Amino acid sequence: MKRLYFWFALVLVMSLLLAACGGAAGGSQLDAIKKAGVIKVGTSADYPPFEYIDESGNKAGFDIELMEEIAKRLGVTVEWVDMPFDSLIAGVQEGKIDISISAFNYTEERDQVVDFSDAYYDGEDAFAVADGFAGSIQAPEDVAAYKVGVQNGTTQDEWLTGLVDEGLLAEANLFRYDRADQAALDLKNGRIDVMMADSVPMKALAAQLGGLKIAYEGVVSSGPMNIVIPEGATELAQAINEVIVQLESEGFIEALALKHFGQ
Amino acid sequence: MFGNFFSYILQGVSITIAVTLVALPAGLVLGLGLALLNTYGGPWLKRLSAGYSLLMRGVPPVVLLFILYFILSGNVVNLTPFWAGSISLGIISSAYQMEILRGALLSISGGQMTAARAIGMSRIQAIRYIILPQALRIAIPPWSNEASIVLKDSSLVYALGVPEILRRAQQLSATNQQPLLAFGAAALIYFVLVFLVNRGLDALAEKTKLPTQAA
Amino acid sequence: MDSPILQVKNLTKIYGQNVIFENISLDVNRGETIVIIGPSGTGKSTLLRCINLLTPANSGQIFLNGQEITAPESNEDKVRQQVGMVFQNFLLFNHLTALDNVMVGLSKVKKMPKARAREKALYELNRVGLSDRADHYPGQLSGGQQQRVGIARALAMDPSVMLFDEPTSALDPELIGEVLGVMETLAREHMTMLVVTHEMGFAREVANRIVFMEKGSIVEQGKPDDLFYRPQHERTREFLWKISELYGKKEEKA
Repeated sequence: MKRLYFWFALVLVMSLLLAACGGAAGGSQLDAIKKAGVIKVGTSADYPPFEYIDESGNKAGFDIELMEEIAKRLGVTVEWVDMPFDSLIAGVQEGKIDISISAFNYTEERDQVVDFSDAYYDGEDAFAVADGFAGSIQAPEDVAAYKVGVQNGTTQDEWLTGLVDEGLLAEANLFRYDRADQAALDLKNGRIDVMMADSVPMKALAAQLGGLKIAYEGVVSSGPMNIVIPEGATELAQAINEVIVQLESEGFIEALALKHFGQ
Repeated sequence: MFGNFFSYILQGVSITIAVTLVALPAGLVLGLGLALLNTYGGPWLKRLSAGYSLLMRGVPPVVLLFILYFILSGNVVNLTPFWAGSISLGIISSAYQMEILRGALLSISGGQMTAARAIGMSRIQAIRYIILPQALRIAIPPWSNEASIVLKDSSLVYALGVPEILRRAQQLSATNQQPLLAFGAAALIYFVLVFLVNRGLDALAEKTKLPTQAA
Repeated sequence: MDSPILQVKNLTKIYGQNVIFENISLDVNRGETIVIIGPSGTGKSTLLRCINLLTPANSGQIFLNGQEITAPESNEDKVRQQVGMVFQNFLLFNHLTALDNVMVGLSKVKKMPKARAREKALYELNRVGLSDRADHYPGQLSGGQQQRVGIARALAMDPSVMLFDEPTSALDPELIGEVLGVMETLAREHMTMLVVTHEMGFAREVANRIVFMEKGSIVEQGKPDDLFYRPQHERTREFLWKISELYGKKEEKA
């Protein structure tokens, strides 16, 4: 009995001790990162082809490879921290991760709590429908007539919520999902009529699932994609931006887009 | 390909087990302490422990996880997702374990305490040598239930990004569009883990059972 | 002639609105066996529980071996080591074997080394005739056996006084004898005993003194023969007559 009590107390004490050994960074974040030789990057590895898990269980995707190269140029290695998408902003805010790359678009709302790097890729939106879709989407606002699915916390979510606020789309017809692939599955089995997402992943999902097609493509909510950086980390932002410019001029980014997006 | 997928999800097992091995014992130590305070303490201790139980059983575990990780952590203590998650689950579980153990303690007849005091035991000695050994035996079946719950709830740490079974299943589902396969595999693994835990505790209950037939 | 081993002086116990007993005084001499009889609910059991401080009395004093155990600075746990108690419902520790039941007080309370505690426990079990059941659990013992273990458990602490609270009331008739037999042996060995019971045969044969309690006070006390054949009070006579009817004992006129 006594021994049992002892071990339980030990586990509890140890857990609290280990918890305390987290350590907080001070001073310039860039310096701290370079000193540690590691940059903690948050991502939500469930969004092919930007970031996902490949057959061997490794992280793969456009954002993944791009970030690894950026880090190399900065002289550090990447420590990937995977998280559900809608936890990432909070993660950067609270200092759980240094930065985040996860097909983010700039929004004013996000800008209030975090900063952004320069754009590293220009994105578009796409609306996908099932093959037997009988309606028509000539303009983005046309989706308001249907049941629409979207990933929670994305710019597409924001745009669609805007439609709801304006009274164009019924609240009950907007379905939010934790992940894009969930929405795509519901689209395929008819629970929703339309799905809105970044065009590159949307096309990838449609191709892989089959039975879906792109009804409309264009810049609606998406646009330039940026890396999310903590508020006020100007040195870090500058360093990253410099590398992005470099990679762009070298054609690295274009080649990467070709590899992952086929365009 | 299927084998690779399965092994990717399987790698989450050690993390799931680790989360459970932090949360469950932490919940037991805390829950037992609270149960003793509530059963044997004065009116203020009773109120405080009852209030704690009410609060922690009324909060959805995920909410506590977020509070601990995003709000408290960094400002008060710096916790990794694993520890924030495990400790939160331990705190929640401690409230339920307190109720289980409290019920077990109360089910031991007052006569046991009386007889223990009658041979000169202090209250603490009586609790330690007479009441607790009997109460813990009684608590095994409902505790086994709680153990299963904590093990399954360990999946909640996915919200903090801990790469346990569920998060891995999500990622695979996103990659290969085969949710049935991914989540089916996850469900199977959880089932096996819970099954093993229950069997183990059943065996423990059997082993510690008090004989009633003449040998 | 030394002073009484146990002295109860003007003890009163009130529970809420009810006066359980009032101004009870009783002296118990070393080696005496005192049997307390009386109608149920007259506070006999409560009196015993006040004597070993399980229940606090409202006023009055109790002296054990000359020390006032009701004094505020008295250590209740230590006092209870000197007063053994046997309960109507046995109250054995269900998770311990008979031997461990007898031993636990020795090893955990008296901090006796294990080997010596074991030896003493076996001795006491033998004394009550149960050494062959040492490794049985209470669930495996009959009522009479359990009670005898209860007696051994109390004896093991080497108390100055043994209190018996209706020790056979919960037993099947055929098992009463084995317990009374043990108690009779103890009495003969000059253990100081205070027994609350309805067993008149035992009272008559074994008690040095019988105390009749009714409605919270001692009505009469005296040697068994005196009380049974020459009761001073009408109420005593009435009670005894009722009891004899109930137990079907024949009145033997001396």
